[in-house]
Amino acid sequence: MPNEPNDMDSMTTKSDVAGTAMAGVFILLAAAAMWDTTTMVDADSYVFPRAVLIAMIVFCGLLIVRNLVRPGPSGANASAGSSARRVLLVAAMLGSTALMPVVGFFIAGLGAFLAIMMVAMYDPWTPYRRIVYPLACAAIVVVFYILFTRVLLVPLPSGLLFD
Amino acid sequence: MPGLEYLIAALTPFHIMLALAGVVAGTIVGSLPGLTATMAVAVLIPITFSMEPASALILMGAIYTGAIYGGAYAAILLNTPGTPSAIATTFDGFPMAKRGDGDLAVTLACIASVVGGLVGAAFLLWLSPPLAKVALAFGSVEYFWLAMFGLTMISALSQGSLLKGLIGACFGLLLSFVGVAEISADVRFTFGSRTLLGGIEIVSALIGLYCIPVLIDMVATPDRHLKVTHKTGGFRLAEALAFSWNYKFNLIRSSVIGTLVGILPGAGGSIAGLVAYSEARRASKNSKDFGHGAPEGVQATESANNATVGGGFIPTLVLGIPGTPPDAVILGALLIQGVRTGPTLFTDNGSTVYTFIYGLFLATLLMLPTGLIIGRYAYRTIITVPKSMLVPTVAFMTIIGSYSIRNSVSDVMIMIALGVVGWFLNRFGFSPSPIVLGLILGRIAEQGFVQAWTIGAATDELPAMFFGRPISLAIIAFILLSLFYPLIRGRWAAMRSSTDAE
Amino acid sequence: MTISRTIILAAMVALTPMAMAVAGQDKDYPDKSVSYIIPFGPGGESDITARLQQPFFKEKFGVDLVVSYKPGGGGAVAWSQLNSIKGDGYTIMGINLPHIIVKPLQKNVGFATKDITGIYMFHYTPDAIVVKKDSPFKTLKDLIEFAKANPGKLTMSGSGKGTANHIAKVRFDKMAGVKTTYVAFKGTGKAAAAMLGDQVKAEWGYTSVGAKYGDEVRLLAVAMNKRHPKFPNVPTFKELGFDLVSGAYRGIAVPKSTPENIRVKLSKMIGEINADPAFRKKMEDAGMALLDVDYAGMGAFMAKMTDIYTKAAREAGVIK
Repeated sequence: MPNEPNDMDSMTTKSDVAGTAMAGVFILLAAAAMWDTTTMVDADSYVFPRAVLIAMIVFCGLLIVRNLVRPGPSGANASAGSSARRVLLVAAMLGSTALMPVVGFFIAGLGAFLAIMMVAMYDPWTPYRRIVYPLACAAIVVVFYILFTRVLLVPLPSGLLFD
Repeated sequence: MPGLEYLIAALTPFHIMLALAGVVAGTIVGSLPGLTATMAVAVLIPITFSMEPASALILMGAIYTGAIYGGAYAAILLNTPGTPSAIATTFDGFPMAKRGDGDLAVTLACIASVVGGLVGAAFLLWLSPPLAKVALAFGSVEYFWLAMFGLTMISALSQGSLLKGLIGACFGLLLSFVGVAEISADVRFTFGSRTLLGGIEIVSALIGLYCIPVLIDMVATPDRHLKVTHKTGGFRLAEALAFSWNYKFNLIRSSVIGTLVGILPGAGGSIAGLVAYSEARRASKNSKDFGHGAPEGVQATESANNATVGGGFIPTLVLGIPGTPPDAVILGALLIQGVRTGPTLFTDNGSTVYTFIYGLFLATLLMLPTGLIIGRYAYRTIITVPKSMLVPTVAFMTIIGSYSIRNSVSDVMIMIALGVVGWFLNRFGFSPSPIVLGLILGRIAEQGFVQAWTIGAATDELPAMFFGRPISLAIIAFILLSLFYPLIRGRWAAMRSSTDAE
Repeated sequence: MTISRTIILAAMVALTPMAMAVAGQDKDYPDKSVSYIIPFGPGGESDITARLQQPFFKEKFGVDLVVSYKPGGGGAVAWSQLNSIKGDGYTIMGINLPHIIVKPLQKNVGFATKDITGIYMFHYTPDAIVVKKDSPFKTLKDLIEFAKANPGKLTMSGSGKGTANHIAKVRFDKMAGVKTTYVAFKGTGKAAAAMLGDQVKAEWGYTSVGAKYGDEVRLLAVAMNKRHPKFPNVPTFKELGFDLVSGAYRGIAVPKSTPENIRVKLSKMIGEINADPAFRKKMEDAGMALLDVDYAGMGAFMAKMTDIYTKAAREAGVIK
């Protein structure tokens, strides 16, 4: 199946708690969206969305019922590995994006690049690596920056702290 | 062959150089997630002012075709469609890469892209006028049914739990409604947020849902990203060629599907890839392998999406209606040059058009050697670069790429947010593909439905509108076939084995 | 000369360099490339008209005009970010009417009409009713007769709702006393395709549609004061008794923080491009109608348009 998350062996037969929880979240989301449709002026705007929302609530309901009646394989996947690094990766990306309008793309991007490199580093830090890696990081950022701003003429944010 | 005298005009050294440069540049642009063919072509517009229309078209067509192919690299090696047209390539391309067949996948993609591009260009050369009529006959109702057909793929794409796939698709549909609605000018589902005002952009959502979860898992373990089972010496070209020949029917069928979908204005490479994939899966003897690394899948999607290049030019040149987003930009460039598209284009401006079409053939053929070489380097790089450099590079590319689509920081935020959501959903058994399907098809389905309803209600022909038109009926037949074929096939197999047993 | 005259003359001589020093800030402008943000995607009409201006800008002022795109929300995303851009005159943005008037009235779209500092309106594409060349409607009268005989059955495509097309249809329906059905499509291209494919009976489009499709289509009437030079045989709505002069207007705006002298200078520059006969010819060939509302005239123009479009949008039911 396309994009099957990781290996099949980690599918356990314990009940699909996560699935049920997610279905619950989706139902709440659908309720909020349904409320939003009531603020719409034109009937054309909410006909289709409401149909989809109703379908979604029905499917979620069915999932919850199925899970309660017949707990089956969750189809979920255990994740090995370091959660800390995962969180740091996302934090680095979010932080860099948030800072972009402030310090400009180049600085924010370079910062994120270096941070993520550290997060993904599993090999020991030899002296060679200590020097070459950060230089490579900087080089890659510079190349992309020039490619995008000069060749592709994309106006990357320049930040409030500069010019 | 029509306009054969212009073949010579197409083969000037200048044009060959343009085609080569275009294909190489396009392939590189396409391989970077977030950079689309549309952007690449838009950047080139000022350069084309100083060129002849035919030369400008050749350059833009070459970039376009290279970019569509280039999207396969990231799809196969990083599970990220470099361009939306490569979505379906991830389904089998990435599993192939993970089990060590990445180089085979890349080479197959190259061959398939070239074949697809040639078929599309051939249709453009020979069958433009009649096919353009088909494009016009495809109205709102047909788009609606086509979107519905696309949605039947959910059953194929949701592993195990059909319910979770359906929920995912609904979620994707809802995401597509966020922002300003074209059909009613209402602002929907933004909950007052400025970030969401622009809606969920498809390419950044794709990157978020497919690539970010891969990155998140890459940092978590020190294992190699892709398995390498044997020395990556060659391209595995002989193997790929043999495979392509053995499955040539799949190749041709997918190319034709791609061309036909490309003709439909508004349906681009992504839909072509999905439809071809669905058909290939249905018709294949090895349909169980699809989604786990079936080379047929890669073949089908890559030939279909490159066929949309030629196919998309048909309504663009004959009717002046752009078949795909890059076509809209190219049309704009032509307009500025004063070239009037329309049926007279082939008769009055025959030199421009035929020179261009032969140039497109040329560029597509040039893609074979350039694609193989670039593909090999791409593969080598991804395999050998240490994770500590690969992850930040890809992460950085996703940020700069998703920003560049609409010059919007909001899109980057949405991408990361969807990435995190996608990672969690993946863990809980919700695959990202149905969500993406919903996202892509949502607007098409809604617009088709509302427009058809408005027209049908106004002319009091509602049932006839939805169920009375020949093309719609054909699509509905396909939908039913898609839904029930697996059941029927199972029933047949059961019947046959029971008669055998007697 | 008398003493008082001498004194005045001396004062003038003394003060002139000071005056020039103050105004002189704009003497060097522009000395690097100017960024032109289009609030829509590439390939649309806003893009094309900007691209038409590009070479003239470079030729007249020696610096590049770099076009970039910031689509989203039908233009709302870009306009809501206009005033957060540095106001040094090196970034300008395209603006469209009636979008910037109607959108803020509909919902919170992140900007108000008065936040947009327009400095020039350089053209509009006049509304027009377009039909296929083999359509049974040969004149506007035929269309109106059909609509009167079959209320609600005359389907007309158009680009979006709350847009120029839609508002024109509402106003016209009221003036002609008919009831037609409007079918909204995403963009003029799709609306034209629907008309050409016989999905709908006619299109509320623009003169640019007529220019693009040439003999394949017929324009029944145009919403202008005088006939369009490219379509001398097409009557205006006014001639036929309907006071409808409207279309999609395009212009240029700058961030609010841009100093006054730069605004004036930019206005003059755009005006210069607009006056160039070669530019005018290209625009008219594409079906556009040129307009010359400069910075000085913006205030009155916007007030008039706001009035017209607010009323029309309310009638159309697009705003409450």
